[in-house]
Amino acid sequence: MSTSTQAAPAATPPTAGAPLPSSPGRTGPAGRSWRESLVGYAFVSPNLVLLVLFLFVPLVSAILMSFQDVSSFGPSSWVGIDNYRRLLSEDVFWRTLTNTLVFTLATVPTSIAIGLVLAVLLDTAVPARTVLRTIIFVPIVISGLVVALIGLLMFDEGVGMLNGMLAAVGIDDARWQTDGTLAMVSVVVMTVWTRVGFAMVIYLAALQDVPREIHEAAQVDGAGAVQRFWWVTVPMLSAPTFFLVVMNIIWSFQVFDIVYVMTGGGPGNDTEMLVTYAYDQGFGPTRDFGYGSTIGVVIFLLTLVVVVLRLHRERREARSGGVR
Amino acid sequence: MSRWVRFLVVAVVCAVMLFPLYCMLVVAFTPRDALFDSGAQLWPDAFTTENFTRLFDRFPVGTWFLNSVMVAGITTALSVTVNLLAGYALAKLRFLGRDAVFVLIISTMMIPAQAIMFPQFRTVIDLGLFGTFWAVILPSAATAFGIFLARQFLLAIPDELIEAATMDGAGQVRIFLRIVLPLCKPLIAVLVLLAFMAQWNDFLWPLIALKDPALYTLPVSLRFLQGQYDADYGGLMAAALITCLPLVLLFVLLQRYFVQGLARTGIK
Amino acid sequence: MSASPSGMPTSFTLSRRALLGGLGGVAASSALSSCGGFSRPESSGGGGGDTLRFKTWASDAEKSAFTRLVKAFNEAEGVTVELEVVPYAEMFTGIDTELQAGSPPDVFRVDYPTLGTYSSTDQLLDLSDQLEGDLTDDLIPALYQAVQYDGTPFGVPHQTDTTAVVYQPRLLREAGITGVPDSLDSAWTWEEFATVSDQLRASLPDGVFPFAYDWQQLGAYRWLTWLFEADGRLLGEDLRTPEIVSAEGRKALEFTRQFLEKGWVPPNTSVKGATYPDTAFASQKVAMAFVGDFLLPSMETTIGDGFEWQVTYQPRDVRASTDLGGNALVAAAATENADLAATFLRFMVDPDNMRTFCEETTELPTRQSLVDTELDFAVRPDLMPTFVEQATTLTPDDVAQVTVPFFAEINTVLQNELELCFVDGQSVDDTLTNIADALESAAG
Repeated sequence: MSTSTQAAPAATPPTAGAPLPSSPGRTGPAGRSWRESLVGYAFVSPNLVLLVLFLFVPLVSAILMSFQDVSSFGPSSWVGIDNYRRLLSEDVFWRTLTNTLVFTLATVPTSIAIGLVLAVLLDTAVPARTVLRTIIFVPIVISGLVVALIGLLMFDEGVGMLNGMLAAVGIDDARWQTDGTLAMVSVVVMTVWTRVGFAMVIYLAALQDVPREIHEAAQVDGAGAVQRFWWVTVPMLSAPTFFLVVMNIIWSFQVFDIVYVMTGGGPGNDTEMLVTYAYDQGFGPTRDFGYGSTIGVVIFLLTLVVVVLRLHRERREARSGGVR
Repeated sequence: MSRWVRFLVVAVVCAVMLFPLYCMLVVAFTPRDALFDSGAQLWPDAFTTENFTRLFDRFPVGTWFLNSVMVAGITTALSVTVNLLAGYALAKLRFLGRDAVFVLIISTMMIPAQAIMFPQFRTVIDLGLFGTFWAVILPSAATAFGIFLARQFLLAIPDELIEAATMDGAGQVRIFLRIVLPLCKPLIAVLVLLAFMAQWNDFLWPLIALKDPALYTLPVSLRFLQGQYDADYGGLMAAALITCLPLVLLFVLLQRYFVQGLARTGIK
Repeated sequence: MSASPSGMPTSFTLSRRALLGGLGGVAASSALSSCGGFSRPESSGGGGGDTLRFKTWASDAEKSAFTRLVKAFNEAEGVTVELEVVPYAEMFTGIDTELQAGSPPDVFRVDYPTLGTYSSTDQLLDLSDQLEGDLTDDLIPALYQAVQYDGTPFGVPHQTDTTAVVYQPRLLREAGITGVPDSLDSAWTWEEFATVSDQLRASLPDGVFPFAYDWQQLGAYRWLTWLFEADGRLLGEDLRTPEIVSAEGRKALEFTRQFLEKGWVPPNTSVKGATYPDTAFASQKVAMAFVGDFLLPSMETTIGDGFEWQVTYQPRDVRASTDLGGNALVAAAATENADLAATFLRFMVDPDNMRTFCEETTELPTRQSLVDTELDFAVRPDLMPTFVEQATTLTPDDVAQVTVPFFAEINTVLQNELELCFVDGQSVDDTLTNIADALESAAG
């Protein structure tokens, strides 16, 4: 199995049906005719128009605004790199950056690992498999706002369920809302809860593709379950893992709903994330769009760098045929 | 590990996964006073539907529900259509700059929506859409994730099928409609669910882009209720339950196709 | 409201051509502007000359009072004022966005500290020629000043509310506290208040606290009450130069800093806390709570017959003070119906209407003639005289400092710096210096 060489988390098309003559795209534009190009663009254009209008144009505006002093109303002026200078010298920015990284490191591996374990356990015959699988998915479809409200309810220091349960086993007054670390834990827990299902689905799909014959052959050769997992299953999982890591990093960098509603970035700035901070600056009472946009641009660049680095590593490993 | 041991392990995880939903359900039916007097109980002494009656008496929940259905429905139709078209072109058609277009599209996934909301908002104003449902629908239909999935799925469709049809003189549109689409059912299930879910659950952007409370969607009204119901978890959870129940049901019904579809997008 | 009976907004019809145009924004907007979300300024109010959109946030009691008054106005004038109630948390984000979109509500509600943001940027209707002497002469001077920018009135002060201290007599008795102040002059001094808090701390069980203060979230400015009580200033006479780095500022900050340290207030009621004092009080997590009078209806509903509760004055130091609560009503400069908007504003502050509004919502009037009369408050009328009296401790000088155009920024700064000081252990001197620096850059 080769890994496609496109600059995207693309995966190899499954070789179902007839073998493909060549994966189109490898060769770039075959340029059969301008007419085919036209058809191609006609198909892509509705989506491109939407993306350009609602994502690229705003992104470019945000970049322009990051060099301005601009707010809701009143005059705006060019201020060069003042916003960026302020950003680098501001404790709160570094704090939110650290929080975002901590949050990412706490959520991404956890969600993926739990998803993998569940997928492996559910890959073979288990009683009530469909029911179990469905239950694990369900949090995926719950709105971030609802997740945050449930989180508020569970972790509330006054009337919360969790402290009621903890009190029953002799732990009193866990300070979920007033201790920075615990508040971060509560946000991470609710986030992981919503993501485990997705990781599991992706892994289940990948595991289904591991041909039974290989497992059976390995069994005949006397390989135990653990060995079989390590030598047969794991090599099949590098593409989905890569995909999940990239997606989860993007989601974690852009975490908003849960934090915004559940902790509001508090206590202090202990759970303030880059995106909530950018939003507060731009849409909060200070109405500082220039600065809010600056933070937004920084988030975009950071995500880009992290993803490109991952991609780079992935391709290097694919070339050396290594397995993580 | 025997299957029963595996079952037990997964069942425990499931119990943990269900716990937050259970909390929501119980509190939605807990009398308001009981919550204040003794905190949220895992099994309240009394059950009541007063949280729901209070909610429906005071707020146009029905209107909000219909708004949600409509906005999410239209967004889904639009978004799935454009994703399928683009995914097909990127997977199967050869044209100048195709890979560049694909990279461009994928890179939009890294744009933090809330951080560029202000310029996005200006765009919506400039288009004259502010305060209408279109202000919510169109930006939501601009997503890259769906294109990515569609392209992955369509890559797996054998080229021979398309080649053969081309030999027969069919145009691309015809091929797409007659040959490709019928093979896409699992993909469509995934795209529909994801698009519907994303729009149904979004609250911040609709809150900013819709100014008239009569046009609110459910999650927006939930945020609204949060302000009105300070710490009245009973009322909030009742509303939260109404917000997520339709999706949970939809999902449980469609989950088989969802899993199949995702499995066949070939992220492996 | 644009929804037809089915709940399907009629604005949703859109020609197929526009849809096929994919994003026919212009075409869509012309089809949509008919009602829907009033998507364009020229159709403000739905295109008629006799409609207004009035946007506000509201508690339940306020919502029913507004609804009643709007209905009365519509019937009396033969016009249509649409009342739009939105969540407080996103109220001003919404106002901002609508102002930028060029289709603001004709009339909206705004708190005094935020008003300057709009009046100083030409967003509000100049009411100089619209307010008669019999109204302006009757308004409490400090509040009339609060709605002015550069001497021009941009709104009408609609109501005020103020903070006093509600308490559970039983818990105070059990802590051995016998007398509770029953007049402004006998209000607890800071020292006495500290003693009371210590006594309560000693007698209350873990998990229950002596009091909670109402400085959460956008209420951060209420910390200034302590500064004013210590006879300190936030800004100098010119309302630009920071004067918070002072002996008085230090004293106020050191005193309030103890609240969390000594366990006088619940840890989740800090400046960025998610729990408000009225909630903590109703669920019996605190023995006393600093609350605004506008909260009485909801507290009465929540507490019911749960326990007995009373009210007393805020503690005093060098002098007494309180916070400037309450809101003004303003009209947007972009309104198409300036005269009708002004008529509506005058109607809302008509003596009888102001009286009934305040009576229903347990809020305080802005007309001097009403302050001196006995209002028939709908809820806990026994508590209201204390609030009424407490409100008189606010001086015009205090008001001037919290209604500068850049106050919204000040409030954010206070929120951040106080939280750092109370929760993250930032030193008192650093905190004061940071606030002063931020004030300087906010004043521009």
